[in-house]
Amino acid sequence: MAKEEKKRAISRPKAMYPLRSRIDEVYKLTVAAMQAGKPTAWSMVNWWEGDSIIMAMGIEAVYPENYGAVCAAMGTAQSYLERSDSEGFPSHMCGYARNCIGYAARMKDLGEIPPEAPMGGMPKPVLLMAAGTLCDTRYKWFQALGRYLDAPVWTLEIPQPGVEEGLEEGVHERNIQFMVKELREFVKFVESLLKKKMDWDRLEEIVSDILEMNRIWYETNELRKTKPCPMHSRDFWTCMTGCLYPAGDLKVLIKLYQDLYDETKKRVEENVGAVENEKYRLVFAELPPWHSLKIFDRLAERGWNFVIESWAYHPPKPLDLAGINDPIERMARFTYQWLTGYYKNALKNEEWWGYFAYPYLEYAREYQCDGAFLHPLITCRTATNHLYLVQDRLMKKYKVPSLVVEGDIVDLKLFDPEDAMRKAEAFEETMEHNREMRKKEGLEW
Amino acid sequence: MATGAQKGTARAHEIYGDRAKRAKELKAEGKEIVGYLCIYPVIEIITAAGMVPYRLFGDLREPKTKVEACLPTVVCPYLRSVMDIGLKGRYDFLDGVVMAHACEVAEKLAHIWKTYIDTKYTFFIDTPHTVHDAAREHLRDILNDFRMSLEKYTGKKITDETITGAVKAHNEQRGLVRELFDLKKPDPPLISGVETVEALIAVMSLPVEEGNELLREVISEVKSRDAKGGNDKKRLLLWGSIIDDTALFELIEDVGADVVMDDTCVGTRPFFPDVEVTKDPLVGLADHYLVDLKCPRTFREAKYGELKKDYMEDLDSRFSYIKEFVDDWSVDGVILHSLRYCDIHGYEIPGLKDYFEHVGIKSIYIEPDYTEAALAPLRTRIEAFIETLD
Repeated sequence: MAKEEKKRAISRPKAMYPLRSRIDEVYKLTVAAMQAGKPTAWSMVNWWEGDSIIMAMGIEAVYPENYGAVCAAMGTAQSYLERSDSEGFPSHMCGYARNCIGYAARMKDLGEIPPEAPMGGMPKPVLLMAAGTLCDTRYKWFQALGRYLDAPVWTLEIPQPGVEEGLEEGVHERNIQFMVKELREFVKFVESLLKKKMDWDRLEEIVSDILEMNRIWYETNELRKTKPCPMHSRDFWTCMTGCLYPAGDLKVLIKLYQDLYDETKKRVEENVGAVENEKYRLVFAELPPWHSLKIFDRLAERGWNFVIESWAYHPPKPLDLAGINDPIERMARFTYQWLTGYYKNALKNEEWWGYFAYPYLEYAREYQCDGAFLHPLITCRTATNHLYLVQDRLMKKYKVPSLVVEGDIVDLKLFDPEDAMRKAEAFEETMEHNREMRKKEGLEW
Repeated sequence: MATGAQKGTARAHEIYGDRAKRAKELKAEGKEIVGYLCIYPVIEIITAAGMVPYRLFGDLREPKTKVEACLPTVVCPYLRSVMDIGLKGRYDFLDGVVMAHACEVAEKLAHIWKTYIDTKYTFFIDTPHTVHDAAREHLRDILNDFRMSLEKYTGKKITDETITGAVKAHNEQRGLVRELFDLKKPDPPLISGVETVEALIAVMSLPVEEGNELLREVISEVKSRDAKGGNDKKRLLLWGSIIDDTALFELIEDVGADVVMDDTCVGTRPFFPDVEVTKDPLVGLADHYLVDLKCPRTFREAKYGELKKDYMEDLDSRFSYIKEFVDDWSVDGVILHSLRYCDIHGYEIPGLKDYFEHVGIKSIYIEPDYTEAALAPLRTRIEAFIETLD
């Protein structure tokens, strides 16, 4: 008798698979580019402002943060973490950084990409593009790589004002102009590095493509406000990499994102949810346990649909840039909008952490969430700092309770899926209770 | 001025033991007290506004019980302690709090503090990460925002001249602290590490002129001490994250070494370079706080726009000032101290160890978690390290 295939609890959109394949291919393309003599860079996620410039200059980028998640998912991270520890870096540091440091140390030993490196590995870079945004690690890590690599480091600036300070008259424009000045300096630097001039037409095209790709992706995620939610967080995390780590042919990526949008819209029209019987709608903060994503299938079997997640990885709120001709300024405005797009609403609500924390209040209300799954990371301050504040504000403002499960993005020893499931089962009662409380308080969901 | 009977190191010890007492007296006299976190808030502008800058410290000896609700355990334990005692009301006498983007968690603490602790005046200085020209100009403009914000709060104009006056007063303080550290050059040093940190913490709890008077008393007293001639104690430099308690100094000095120099933010860092007095005083202040302060939170490179990194050149450009300390203070060994979960110091450790090895200085790395209990196990390690210096 043929074995009956078990129906998966999360219905993955078909359009997700070619997007995932395309993203996976990027690593191989980068290695091929290096072998063909093209320059490559290791880049921190920089919310597009630096990506657009290096792409226009013909540099292929790989993203060691994303590669950390890849190594975690493929089971090769552990040896790199141990190598980083043995090099003398404190073990409480970022799991992605430790993975990359271990990788770089091994690459230096071998003089080539380590043979066990998944997806072809990360080729030796001519540039390390760091970013000061959100966390210290993302420039200190690249600075520390000087021990293994002779590539120069450029640190990109994105202002991070407080809510009140950022909304004082003139501050927004001044911050944009600061970013523009910095980006122009970066262009000069990359021109010196490569001994060639910026192709401004190419930059214009890339910036337009990045904006278009993010527009489609933003609208796709807006569709997830529908009940039942048509796309699960697992698909968000799979698909976000194309937007967040732009590489390869952006026109191809735009087409793939459009296909995903179309499929998601069709699901909305046909009332198809990512989880068949959506019982609970959840928001996830911040980064998932990449090595244990199957836990979401187990939760989906219980009717848990993750409908919104990970503020830092979402596109910015829409912004009219039609009147801005300079591609650098357009990019600066777009990037700054990503960080500060929630500030005005935060100020109205007297919430003082306008990025990272306040957006979860809007998410919970607009996506009508029953609960939050908070995942403090033992080796990532950045994804953890705000979680208790989020937990507190969600409960106080909207009676949305949080389930807190500690873990790590890379080190699988630090996450216990069985314990998480036990806590989740008990948490259902809490969500039910607070659903009643919201009703009593006249909240809309 | 203070009316306490104690003078010099005794007075510093007294203030160190109850920092808030003098601040509360000043408040009763009508002064406004502004807490500041770390060394990146520009205290000269607070002084120019006629207010008293008062450095926020944690309490190593106080269990962190309130902070659990708003800041997780995996972040800087010192900052958690500051927030914890803030939530317990120990900073309720403050009229304002100024924080800066000193590090990632300090930046976030500014927003958390504003959420949970009701302070009349707050300001956040978004210090850039690089020393690029645009970043220096940008910080200058942010400092002007800070000035205007204080003007709005106090209802008083803060002129360039007033700021320049404050710069000069704080520069005088920097000079006095350097003079104090010079008294640690003789063998044995004329002032211990414990006394030094008590004096500096006291100074950071007082108005600048009163702090300067205290420093002059301490210097005069220490200078009058008899030089005892050489001893066999090893001379150590302490580098790293914040140390706002005498406990670690006591431990080191108890096992037979002298802490003769440091590179920490309660020690030399805020005091060693003067602020340049510039026509627009905010330009000099921006340059000082972004470029001169040597905390690893600021990204630096050997040469602006370098196209290839030379590792040793990079280390030399970032750490050679510590080698100068080592030479000038005849240091035998270096203790590298990074609080658990302090990323900006933690990433420096292998590079610093490489650098000190390159220049022939022995070093040891310690990673306490800002509790008294964490210090006890370090005794044996530090003793063993001192033995290796023979």
